[in-house]
Amino acid sequence: MGYVAIKGGGRAIRGAEAALEALRTAEGDTGTPLSLSTIENQLRLLTSRIVSEGGLYHPRLAALAVKQMQGDTLEAAFALRAYRSTKPRLLEAPIQDSGKMRLIRRISSAFKDIPGGQMLGPTNDYALRLMRLDLANESPESFRDVARHFMANTPETDLPDCFPKVVDALRAEGLLPALNGPAGTPFDITRDPLVFPVARSAALATMARAETGSLLAIAYSNMRGYGDVHPTIAELRVGYLPIMLPHPVTGEPIEAGEVLMTECEVVAMYEGTDTDGPPVFTLGYGACFGHNEVKAIAMAILDRALQKGMRDGPRNPSEDPEFVLLHVDGVDSMGFASHYKMPHYVTFQSDMDRLRTTQAKAAQCAQESQPRRQGENA
Amino acid sequence: MLTHTDLPRSQWLRLWTALPADRVRTAADELSKRYVVEDIELPQSGLGLLPLNDGALGEAYYLGEIPLARAHVRIADGAGKAVEGGAIIMDDRARLARSLAILDGVLAAGLPGFETARTLLNEGAEKIREITVDRQKLMAATRVDFSLLGTTDEEDDDA
Repeated sequence: MGYVAIKGGGRAIRGAEAALEALRTAEGDTGTPLSLSTIENQLRLLTSRIVSEGGLYHPRLAALAVKQMQGDTLEAAFALRAYRSTKPRLLEAPIQDSGKMRLIRRISSAFKDIPGGQMLGPTNDYALRLMRLDLANESPESFRDVARHFMANTPETDLPDCFPKVVDALRAEGLLPALNGPAGTPFDITRDPLVFPVARSAALATMARAETGSLLAIAYSNMRGYGDVHPTIAELRVGYLPIMLPHPVTGEPIEAGEVLMTECEVVAMYEGTDTDGPPVFTLGYGACFGHNEVKAIAMAILDRALQKGMRDGPRNPSEDPEFVLLHVDGVDSMGFASHYKMPHYVTFQSDMDRLRTTQAKAAQCAQESQPRRQGENA
Repeated sequence: MLTHTDLPRSQWLRLWTALPADRVRTAADELSKRYVVEDIELPQSGLGLLPLNDGALGEAYYLGEIPLARAHVRIADGAGKAVEGGAIIMDDRARLARSLAILDGVLAAGLPGFETARTLLNEGAEKIREITVDRQKLMAATRVDFSLLGTTDEEDDDA
């Protein structure tokens, strides 16, 4: 397929931008501009999607992107990626330890009792999906009272910030494979293209910034039967990871900030061979910036499926690294779909010319064969 | 490392950045009037690549990128004494990083005026304590002890 340059349309394009802005502000005199803080806090799960799919933990800019793109998550993630591409990379952080996460939620579907206990935290998991009509006319006063009331009526506690991981306990019992440890420099998907076969670090990084729906769709295909991971969630955690970086003067690790993230480890069917020692459960891992549990779980299932596919060869789409990793990026896939909206006048003209020529030839063939058939019939 | 405060230097930036940025800037500007502050490294903002060990197999991978600003300054008094301060924070504002580097250097060396930095540090510690308490409440209020049906009374724990 060929592309051609076009010109003209500048005034219309400027008009389109203005029209878009006009719709954003169409509430007129009754409208109030959304503050970034409002988006970041009240639409926190939306902001979470953008930081993770944009690949940059910058909740405030993610909120701005949501505002600018009028709630389009794909375009908002695109804007955040475009922003990051303009910034210099100052450093690569030392490897961080997610065991240091300051948790606000941790659950396990593998065990009723886990070391430190299960805390549901902020979740819709057990909520009825009924519309809360009272929110439709929420007053600022009642809105402000909610958090204040919750905090005032919940007694202070001496719970620790961090908790041991469930998989560590399973590993100590010899039920899980030993840790591999960091295997060389991880693959940097922001600098290098994916050339298959790829390292697992490339797969994890690609899925960590994948589009949630795409990741879920492929993981769902595995869950429904096009695969056999059969996962159990050993632990799902949501919390704030302290980012430790070297102090510019002393070189000692200091806390430079924290990142809200979601992390999930799934335990899958056990495997073992005569040569590798006793059978152990297999594992899958998912994580992403922000609070996005479905994404972390889907990623963990796909990680397990891809490990299997990389080892034994893919038997299902979800086990095929090339299929999964090249189709889960929201900016890539949205870009490809959107490019069809751009002018393809010359290529389509060529298609029409070819069709007309083919039709003419077909008509000519039909005409030429008609007397022959008439002769044969006579 | 303990210096002119009981709070470890590894936490200073976290505590200062819990406060409004203009308070940090104002304090650093005041200190800058007492000393000659030179940049050892020009304040910069950009990104940092964030590697994690995966929780399943312990292999390192990149979770994504984070915004970073950093500064490294030399702070000299009129008597020939000079100390260094530094800051690296998850933020876009290089100027804020420079202000923090000034507070860092002054407090670490206990230069005259360090009390201002220490006061801000203590206020930041209180702010962080409040955040920590609020987060712990999210956990404490939702601590769950599921029981298997038939093994206990069929009453819910809060019925």
